[in-house]
Amino acid sequence: MGLLSILRKLKSAPDQEVRILLLGLDNAGKTTLLKQLASEDISHITPTQGFNIKSVQSQGFKLNVWDIGGQRKIRPYWRNYFENTDILIYVIDSADRKRFEETGQELAELLEEEKLSCVPVLIFANKQDLLTAAPASEIAEGLNLHTIRDRIWQIQSCSALTGEGVQPQISHLTRAIKSLMLCAE
Amino acid sequence: MFISLWEFFYGHFLRFWMKWLLRQMTGKCELQRIFDTYVGAQRTHRIENSLTYSKNKVLQKATHIVQSDVDKYVEDIMKEKNINSEKDSSFKICMRTCLLQITGYKQLYSDVESVRKRPYDSDNLQHEELLLKLWNLLMPTEKLKARISKQWADIGFQGDDPKTDFRGMGILGLINLVYFSENYTNEAHQILSRSNHPKLGYSYAIVGINLTEMAYSLLKSEALKFHLYNCVPGIPTIEHFHQFYCYLVYEFDKFWFEEEPESIMYFNLYREKFHEKIKGLLLNYNVALTLKI
Repeated sequence: MGLLSILRKLKSAPDQEVRILLLGLDNAGKTTLLKQLASEDISHITPTQGFNIKSVQSQGFKLNVWDIGGQRKIRPYWRNYFENTDILIYVIDSADRKRFEETGQELAELLEEEKLSCVPVLIFANKQDLLTAAPASEIAEGLNLHTIRDRIWQIQSCSALTGEGVQPQISHLTRAIKSLMLCAE
Repeated sequence: MFISLWEFFYGHFLRFWMKWLLRQMTGKCELQRIFDTYVGAQRTHRIENSLTYSKNKVLQKATHIVQSDVDKYVEDIMKEKNINSEKDSSFKICMRTCLLQITGYKQLYSDVESVRKRPYDSDNLQHEELLLKLWNLLMPTEKLKARISKQWADIGFQGDDPKTDFRGMGILGLINLVYFSENYTNEAHQILSRSNHPKLGYSYAIVGINLTEMAYSLLKSEALKFHLYNCVPGIPTIEHFHQFYCYLVYEFDKFWFEEEPESIMYFNLYREKFHEKIKGLLLNYNVALTLKI
């Protein structure tokens, strides 16, 4: 689903729900991000078997955020959650340099998916609180993000642990969707 | 509204006169009457409430003391309540047991919490040895080829280095996994092999870490009180916590295969269902959830 269809959907849906899909390798920080968005305690997180879902209110929108486990064994199930996705958030552990290649490959495969075509993607360069974290610019270059032409994309450095960079970005995204919706009207 | 009014009325006025009246009739204080009437978790729980809501400062304080002060407080309570140890010889023993259970529960939580807060550290030799011990216990016939290896997935870790899977449960998650494998080796092998089921399978190690979280949060929310009061006539130790974890692992595996979920993706749904079931069992005064083989 692309931006145009988001607009159509938002116009027709009075409750203005947005479906956000959180993907990334295991240990990228998806669940911490989800809990941070929902203002929940992040000190007892365990690896995700299956998925978690939470609904968060933001800027007059109801964000339904799906956090799917990143373990290799369950990545084949990711595709079951593509349908009707409005925003894809891809989370990267910026300090796990050994797996940059693996995460780049997974992202590239996602961007090829037909069901996700034109879906705006926000890439979180997570774990910036760690000294060894690569800066977002370096990750963007490594992943050749500048070659993405078929959709809106953005990379943002953040720390799901401290919450830095998370909330403003989500608010920004929902505001962007809202203003697009107003334009369409 | 009516209930809260009644609670206010009862707590501030009626409770006092009821107790006074009963004391005149039976010649015994509330604590003694509880010992006469109740046993097990119900007794300890009622004693705990009676002390907590007491207007007497000594009694009130008794639930917040450290273990080394228990004997002194038993004496103080007997003095405050004019209890003659010759007339009521069992009071001292019963009160001591209850206070050890009540203060022990609080101590257990703080002990478990301090282990949980210790993250898994690859530079710590003890942690690394414990991790290798887990492998050897679960895979006695297969050698681990390297510390960083895809083989870890065979016992249900996510990637090639388990260290990132312990997360919020820290070293507590690993200690529990090792405890179960060491003390219930046959069951651990059985469950591990069942968890590799092509359709209903789940990741053994990370589900284990998840169940450590369940045991931990039940302890934290005080839901384990009745269970521990019934199982341990004194101070509960971290060993009792590990035992409860073993019960959860064994029962969860049974539950999972009975429920036959569509796929591992529904894990959290069934986890919650299992969690509710356990919480329900723990509400019973007579509960004692031990792994029986």
